[in-house]
Amino acid sequence: MKLDIDWTRCDGHGLCSAVLPDRIARDEWGFPIIAGGAVTDSELRAARRAVGICPALALRLSADPTHA
Amino acid sequence: MTATLHRPAATPTSRPTVPAWTIGAPRLLAGLDRNAVVDYTTHLQLHGPLHHTDRARLTDTVDQVGLRGRGGAGFPFAQKLRSLRTESRPVVVVNGSESEPASFKDRLLMRRAPHLVIDGALVVARAINAADAIITVHDAIAEQALRAALAQRSDAGPVRIERSTGPFAAGEVRALARFLSGGPALAPGRRVLPTEAGVNNAPTLAGNVETIAQVAVLTRLGVGRFRETGARTEPGTILLTIGGAVTRPGVVEIPIGTPLGIVLAAAGASDPQAVLIGGYHGSWLAPLPDITLSHDGLHSAGGTFGAGVVMLIGSHACALGEVARVTAWLAAQSAQQCGPCRFGLPALAADVQAIWSGAPHGVDAALRHARMVDGRGACAHPDGTARFVASALHLLQDETAAHLQHGGCGRPVVGVLPVPATTAAQA
Repeated sequence: MKLDIDWTRCDGHGLCSAVLPDRIARDEWGFPIIAGGAVTDSELRAARRAVGICPALALRLSADPTHA
Repeated sequence: MTATLHRPAATPTSRPTVPAWTIGAPRLLAGLDRNAVVDYTTHLQLHGPLHHTDRARLTDTVDQVGLRGRGGAGFPFAQKLRSLRTESRPVVVVNGSESEPASFKDRLLMRRAPHLVIDGALVVARAINAADAIITVHDAIAEQALRAALAQRSDAGPVRIERSTGPFAAGEVRALARFLSGGPALAPGRRVLPTEAGVNNAPTLAGNVETIAQVAVLTRLGVGRFRETGARTEPGTILLTIGGAVTRPGVVEIPIGTPLGIVLAAAGASDPQAVLIGGYHGSWLAPLPDITLSHDGLHSAGGTFGAGVVMLIGSHACALGEVARVTAWLAAQSAQQCGPCRFGLPALAADVQAIWSGAPHGVDAALRHARMVDGRGACAHPDGTARFVASALHLLQDETAAHLQHGGCGRPVVGVLPVPATTAAQA
């Protein structure tokens, strides 16, 4: 699994970063910076919470690691 | 410093005509030495009748010559054909947006060799059994030329012309597919390939105008004759738009693999200090004559063909000022959809302006912001802008040092790079 951001939705609320601080940092405007690599099993619970807590519905957990 | 940073420059569109010339035998530009516009009769005399083929053979043919997209990304065309979803009837989109300000080659083809573009659209549409083949254009003259060409022939049933508009990023194929589906010309947030779901969610085979015209040439010549020019691993020709500090600017067809030095000598470049290759999402390189103008050669040199732009900055002009002007324009072209682009590109533009003004720490800030915006958007506009700035700062280290020490390099900003007088993008 990996975390994907829909940048057209993200408003930089930062809740994802609060839930997953080791994986998601924030840039100087508050937008998330997701560290690379697949989401580990131990992170999965928190990652699901981060997805669920995003008020803009901008965060997704996806199985497919390839990008268009 | 006497020059201002934001002096308006002439854009290629404001010129009455853009010259076309070739190194080696012309293919796409055949007949343009004698014809303002190649009409249908002349087109058939020059190229012969259209050769239709089926999907498997077309895929095999473009694969054998390694045809890559000429719009910017350089994506293998055979791979697009292979990945096209087959469950529903596909659509062909010929992307003639040419939003890249320094490029003119697609407009030149549509304006002066429109039948080649229509031929390519027809060949691809027939091969994949597409219901529609849509040629999209921003340029009014190109639109007129294509419509006039359609009226000259009776075989162009599935082809229609659509006028589209919008900022730089509106020419990106997924933004275009959304526009053609009745939406705004903005890249969607989810990265779905057009070959999966494009125009009205139909599988969509999109190609740049030049790519599609190359298909028309290829299906006539066949693999063997197509390979007679160009590099062994990248056969064929490619169109460049050459401008800046040259005596013969214009659209040029060259065999792929021609050394940059030969092109610069033919264009009458005198003592250039820097070359921008690809366009405003491209890379700044030292104008070394032995750079091979092929995908592989440019990759080795740290660049890409991009949209085929080759802009020279002479040794008497302030290259950094040119970079600052264009970066400001690129920042204004953000569609304002994605936070990192919306906030990051103006910050990046301010950094470059600060470097030009001789402020300390500008380079560090610019490189940090360039890294920060890279890859963080719905489209490739932030990535391309980051590449433009980072490659410039890498190349122009002596000049940035001069601006830092003396507040400038003593050379004027002459406005070599065209910056359209458009305002910020509509969100």
